Amino acid sequence: MNHRIVIATAGLMLLSIGSFSTGDSAGEGTICPVPSSSMSEARLLALERENGCLDGMEADDAPSWPPGWDRATIAGGDVAPVRVVSDPYPTLHSVVVDAERNKVFMSDPNRHALWSYDRLSASKGKEMIEALTGIRGPSTGMMFVAAVTLDRERQEIYTVDNDIGDRLMVFPYDADGNVKPKRVLDVPHQAWGISISDERNEFAISVESPREIVVYAKGAEGRAQPLRTIRGPKTGLGDPHGVFLDGQNNEIVVANHGNQGGRQPAPGDAPARQRGTRVAEPQPIVGGRFDDPSITVYNADAKGDVAPTRKIQGAKTGLNWPMAIDVDRSRNEIAVANNGDSSVRIFRRTDTGDVAPVRVIKGPRTGIAGPMGVAYDLKNGEIWVANYGDHTAQVFPVTASGNVAPKRTLRNAPAGSPTVGFGNPGAVAYDSKRDEILVPN
Amino acid sequence: MHGIFYDEVHDEIVVPVALGGAVLTLPGDAAGDAPPKRVLQGPKTGIVQPDTIYVDLKHDELIVESGDDAVLVFPRTAQGDVAPTRRIGGPNSGVSNIYGLAAGLDCLVVANRVDTGGRASDDAILVFNRLDNGDPKPRTKISGPHTGIIKIRQVFVDEERGLIFATIKNNFEAYNYADTRPSPWDPIKTGFIGVWSIDDNGDVPPRGVIRGPATGLVWPAGVAINARHHEIYAIDSVSNALFMFKMPEFFVKLPSSEAGR
Repeated sequence: MNHRIVIATAGLMLLSIGSFSTGDSAGEGTICPVPSSSMSEARLLALERENGCLDGMEADDAPSWPPGWDRATIAGGDVAPVRVVSDPYPTLHSVVVDAERNKVFMSDPNRHALWSYDRLSASKGKEMIEALTGIRGPSTGMMFVAAVTLDRERQEIYTVDNDIGDRLMVFPYDADGNVKPKRVLDVPHQAWGISISDERNEFAISVESPREIVVYAKGAEGRAQPLRTIRGPKTGLGDPHGVFLDGQNNEIVVANHGNQGGRQPAPGDAPARQRGTRVAEPQPIVGGRFDDPSITVYNADAKGDVAPTRKIQGAKTGLNWPMAIDVDRSRNEIAVANNGDSSVRIFRRTDTGDVAPVRVIKGPRTGIAGPMGVAYDLKNGEIWVANYGDHTAQVFPVTASGNVAPKRTLRNAPAGSPTVGFGNPGAVAYDSKRDEILVPN
Repeated sequence: MHGIFYDEVHDEIVVPVALGGAVLTLPGDAAGDAPPKRVLQGPKTGIVQPDTIYVDLKHDELIVESGDDAVLVFPRTAQGDVAPTRRIGGPNSGVSNIYGLAAGLDCLVVANRVDTGGRASDDAILVFNRLDNGDPKPRTKISGPHTGIIKIRQVFVDEERGLIFATIKNNFEAYNYADTRPSPWDPIKTGFIGVWSIDDNGDVPPRGVIRGPATGLVWPAGVAINARHHEIYAIDSVSNALFMFKMPEFFVKLPSSEAGR
């Protein structure tokens, strides 16, 4: 379909396309319309076709074109692309395991979804594994989701939007399809990691740009404010990603990329600036910096501008874009998904300074490719890795080291399916010398 | 990173690093963990959290969004901790949240957002004189309900035809739990690519548009043009997709009808 028009008719054309009928509900409390014509199928190209449910038009929902366009002469129109680059499969971001219920959950920023799998499901060859459930669609409110974690006690799944959305969403374990979240919490812009502590009845969220950790009461929703915030120049937080709230050792462990923005982070415990608002007295401009990546540790009750109690940082660590982390408190070890060199690095929990990891899982036999997620399953003595650079998650023995093959591989796309890697892309450029298109993430 | 520029004269890629308060210049063939040729960063630069950049190849200047409601202009090869040669910002300029920058035809084009106003916001294309400095009023301002500009992002200037290409998201991220359809990407208000003349001013419709269900665009966030092949490239931040359109009509003189203007 290629409606190349010179306009005056464009609005009329859009007005003509959409009669939708309402079909079966894909999830509790959600109307999931079914397209009634090929034209409505075309409309879905302007939605997320893979969302499994269509956000439908109501009878009085005339597609709105700006005023005056019907009388203007406008070139172009509703033109189909000649080529499209996109990834039709989920992209695995973070991973978490409920060993008691033999389920593993993964977040998917490509299709804005959460997927659950049987813990023991594995690809024998090149085939993909069907998910047990897939939470996705406009009603979910999920945008560019990052971390996922579980409240195993309440059987709830938590995920958080990163660069667009600014929300934490909580779903019940058995949620499936285009469903509304059980709870929604407004969180600061650029949240990334989440960690729940049952012991403390709290959860912590890392936030990239303001370089802060915010801690909420479990069950927080709406516009609830954090109980406390760790933020300020003494903290050493630099573009924090992975976070672990350790209620047994009363610590918060954080993985930092090391990026420091040009303005000093606001020291203290005041709520972060919300997007689109201005602060009365902005912090001084101190200039951006690229610090070395690090793992920083704070007292779990810490708030404001406090120095870390320990910091793992330096050349020996091999840290390079450390993403998710998990802590094995029985072995006193920290696992890091080290995206920059496609490895998983294991450090002693109590290490500090420029120290080498006690083990590294890395190499072509491991299949680890741009890992974002890492999670322990201590009941079964396993460690899970979610690869952003491949359509796979892998399971290793908890003591795996070196260039070793995984125990199991879970594919969410047929082997060899490329990962496009787009994640909330915000710009594009044309390289006329090489006839290439450049896309930053 | 929400910005990128390919410098075809010097075969360089220029990117802003918002979280590191820096602008990096890399070789055109950079791949993997290649180090940058130049890093512009530090307190003197005034660069706080840059989201977007542009290179004015004709005048050998690097134009940077400060992340602090200002446009900063440096020599193209500036590196280290150096002060900008010019800065545009302040209440007269109207410069607020900058999501795109471009230059050409002795103009500096700013994709400007005022995020607090909802659909009645004053998002705009602001056009300044190239050598403006301080807190000047823009030479022209394309904004208002007839423009359809809501949540503007990357812009690009086609000097040969005197056109501004702009990505318009046309939606909001608010999630109202009680809504029947709490869609963050409202199907009725999907985004588009709009094309204006660099001489347009006020509340005027675009002269060219790529918009509608067949386009696949939901939240277009970036635009580039390939004049040789008459193609327009749009990156979409919700679909996570790159769309390529063949638009020969955008590479001839576009309509200048006063209808609706």
